[in-house]
Amino acid sequence: MPRPALVRSIPLLSTRRPLGVALAAGVTVLGLALTGCTSAAPQASSTPTAGGTLTYASGDAEPTCLDPHVGGNYPQALVSTQYLESLVSLDSKGTVIPWLADSWTVSDDGLTWEFTLRDGVTFSDGTPLDAAAVQANIAHLQDPATGSSTGYLALAKVTGTEAVSDSVVRFTLSQPDSALLESLSQPWLGIESPTALERSQDDNCAAPVGTGPFVVDSWVKQNAITLVRNDDYTSPPADAEHDGPAYLDTIVWRFIPDSASRYAALQAGEVNVIDNAQPDTIAQAEQSDSIVHLDAPRPGASNRIELNSGKAPFNDAAVREAFIRSANVDDAVASLFQGSAERSYSALSSVEPLGVSRQELFDYDPAAAATLLDEAGWSEKDADGYRTKDGVRLTVVFPVSTNQSIPAEQSLFEQIQATAKETGFDVQLTKLDLSSWYTALGSNAYDAVSAPYTKVGPDVLRILFHSDGITPAPSGYFANHAQVNDPELDSLLTLADQTNDADERSALYADAQDLILEGFYILPLYDQQNHFLLGTAVQGARALPTVSTPTFYDAWLSR
Amino acid sequence: MAEPLTVARSSGGRRVRRLGVLIGWPLARRLGGAVFVLWAVATLTFFAVRLIPGDPAEAILGGPGSQTSPEALAAVRAEYGLDQPVFLQYLAQLGRLATGDLGRSYALNMDVGPLVLSQLGGTLLLAVLSLTVAWLLALGLATWSTGRGAMARRIGSGLEIVAAALPHFWLATTLIVVASVWWGILPPISTADARGLVLPVLTLAIPLAGFLGQVMRESLTTALESPFVLSARARGESERGVLWRHALRHAALPAIGLSGWAFGSLISGAVVVETVFARPGLGRTLLNAVTVRDVPVVIGVVMVVALAYILMTILTDLASRLADPRPTTNTRTPGGAQ
Repeated sequence: MPRPALVRSIPLLSTRRPLGVALAAGVTVLGLALTGCTSAAPQASSTPTAGGTLTYASGDAEPTCLDPHVGGNYPQALVSTQYLESLVSLDSKGTVIPWLADSWTVSDDGLTWEFTLRDGVTFSDGTPLDAAAVQANIAHLQDPATGSSTGYLALAKVTGTEAVSDSVVRFTLSQPDSALLESLSQPWLGIESPTALERSQDDNCAAPVGTGPFVVDSWVKQNAITLVRNDDYTSPPADAEHDGPAYLDTIVWRFIPDSASRYAALQAGEVNVIDNAQPDTIAQAEQSDSIVHLDAPRPGASNRIELNSGKAPFNDAAVREAFIRSANVDDAVASLFQGSAERSYSALSSVEPLGVSRQELFDYDPAAAATLLDEAGWSEKDADGYRTKDGVRLTVVFPVSTNQSIPAEQSLFEQIQATAKETGFDVQLTKLDLSSWYTALGSNAYDAVSAPYTKVGPDVLRILFHSDGITPAPSGYFANHAQVNDPELDSLLTLADQTNDADERSALYADAQDLILEGFYILPLYDQQNHFLLGTAVQGARALPTVSTPTFYDAWLSR
Repeated sequence: MAEPLTVARSSGGRRVRRLGVLIGWPLARRLGGAVFVLWAVATLTFFAVRLIPGDPAEAILGGPGSQTSPEALAAVRAEYGLDQPVFLQYLAQLGRLATGDLGRSYALNMDVGPLVLSQLGGTLLLAVLSLTVAWLLALGLATWSTGRGAMARRIGSGLEIVAAALPHFWLATTLIVVASVWWGILPPISTADARGLVLPVLTLAIPLAGFLGQVMRESLTTALESPFVLSARARGESERGVLWRHALRHAALPAIGLSGWAFGSLISGAVVVETVFARPGLGRTLLNAVTVRDVPVVIGVVMVVALAYILMTILTDLASRLADPRPTTNTRTPGGAQ
């Protein structure tokens, strides 16, 4: 998913581990996620009590439609996680686990998938969950009138569906898709009541109907969404802590755009949970015994600076390497993110089990950078101290989206600008609103850019680095900002996308990541930050390991 | 300036006559001006939002970054008339506005009219309360510090200058830290009850009180040195009576005139305050709409704010005339403030 407009990116960090080590870094169970908080909240020592209202305050833009089929951005995923459920989920190791589908099979050619649905599940409007309901959802996502972007992309290879029986639905694909289950686990592909989908889009946007533990009760725009418990709930994912209905009576979902107000509201006890916690408030929260910190990095790509290899000066790999070697990222991250973000050396988030980390490629080494530039012909310096070649200054145009880069990240770019200047790069940072930023990308008016991308699984590499991603969509949007055009990489990514063999898939993605990292197309920074702060009264909340949205199904309020 | 007090204490019949003069011709002139201003606002806004880069059709389809087909874009352009020449779009927009139709939001899946109406109440409440509190604060400070010697005057004047210079954002954050985080007595965000209104109202009222107070003090000082005050004192009125019954009336005139402007500034202050305190309202609506290029909502909010501003200006104008103790019967265009 392209990062939605208006979502402030959150800084972050988590431990990057080498390939093969099963990561618990998804940090799913809150208890495991108390990174450094001094709180002594008795997480395990008390029994859940039912009842009460939890108030959630989001720093994201208020969704314009509560149905995440429409568009499909992170703010929608955050709230829809409470009332919609997907066919499958992931556990904290990244393994696909049953949810609304009990089991599934795939044909040898990878073109036919059959999902057996869980028994006895009904939507909160009484409609039963059956094969026809799943078909209606796929059709809804693929209908251009719905305006789905994220879900639509995830289903790109699905050419048809069929009800084999009431409880078995068959998907037919145009090509094998090793990412299908990961794609289906995302909240943007939540399964909704087919009865409700027949309403007008306005009605469905106002109150989508799912099978989840909560139900949309009311939505007063620019004020709050009220969710109430679904007393008939029967379908928790396989890794939930309990069965039956949720504990909380009500969730009030508010929008508090200002970071300081949001944190003040949490401190004052007016709200119980806030998202988009910024490095300064995280640092404060770490000192508080009444606030718990949940660090849930998003899956998909790491946050990184992409270097435009499609034009000078970064069409020369030596110049890309020189830029990366001349950027002192570590010191800047440490000071600006106050320990809340850990440096990444990977194209993928640390929660992706198939991520490859290559720290040695990203050492800060200005001397090596200078040598590389000398050899590449950028050996002269002008009066301002910038390197030149044939009278042209070594300029890096770097548009920054103020919507997508939080203040700490914008400061990080300024630090990189300053250290790269010592080597002779003229980094021209321009802060732009989202629309102008997209325009700059669409017109190829950039040498470096940082754009988050959330998606479950390593297939995000195909979206970001396959040469198909250089061609803009009619809207001007394209995902391959580094403009990587390498037939060998294309073929690795395509093979990985189509194999049914898990070992082969992971080997192919490892090779692909080596090509990307060794080609110096990107400068990895840290995971896509996703920090939540919770009052200590909130027990049992966790982030779903799919796209790290919090779920309050197991949550309760201690008194 | 110095008028016999009898005019100020004119009889009811005289006041009625004066009202007729006040409300007749000047009001018609005002209304004509209002229509012109609304047209100018609509025109300026219509063309200004076109300077913002980005295709409205994309905004309708979910913004840049969404995967939209050329067919979908073309369909949306036709549906919203975006494929027409700009001047025709402008005329169509004016036509809709003339019939009170504010159009449909690109981003919010709802008509702009109901959207703006649903948000108007919160902002008006905030603005009216803030204006009231600002008046009380300014009056209190001005009357306390005037006529008590140089020190009181300096203190009052200093407080006003500081208050007037406070940026809304800073003040809001400071109030939150002090009242919500340190003392824990007031919520930092809007609540169902009135408690949530206190900090936002103070944020808007304090700087405004500084402005009003400065103007009030100056005219109050002038008034207290005027002959009519001398004659009132000579008649044996108490200092208090002089202040409240005579001098303040003069002193209030410029501040009343300023209140029309103040109301406009409160609406723009609402953009900051509603965002910081997470309050529903027009300011927050406008900010969100600008960020996502939701042109109909931007125009709708700007039009409604312009209308409110015009109404407020007319009201303050009338209030000035009513408060003005000077005679109006011998002239078609009454004098007074402005």
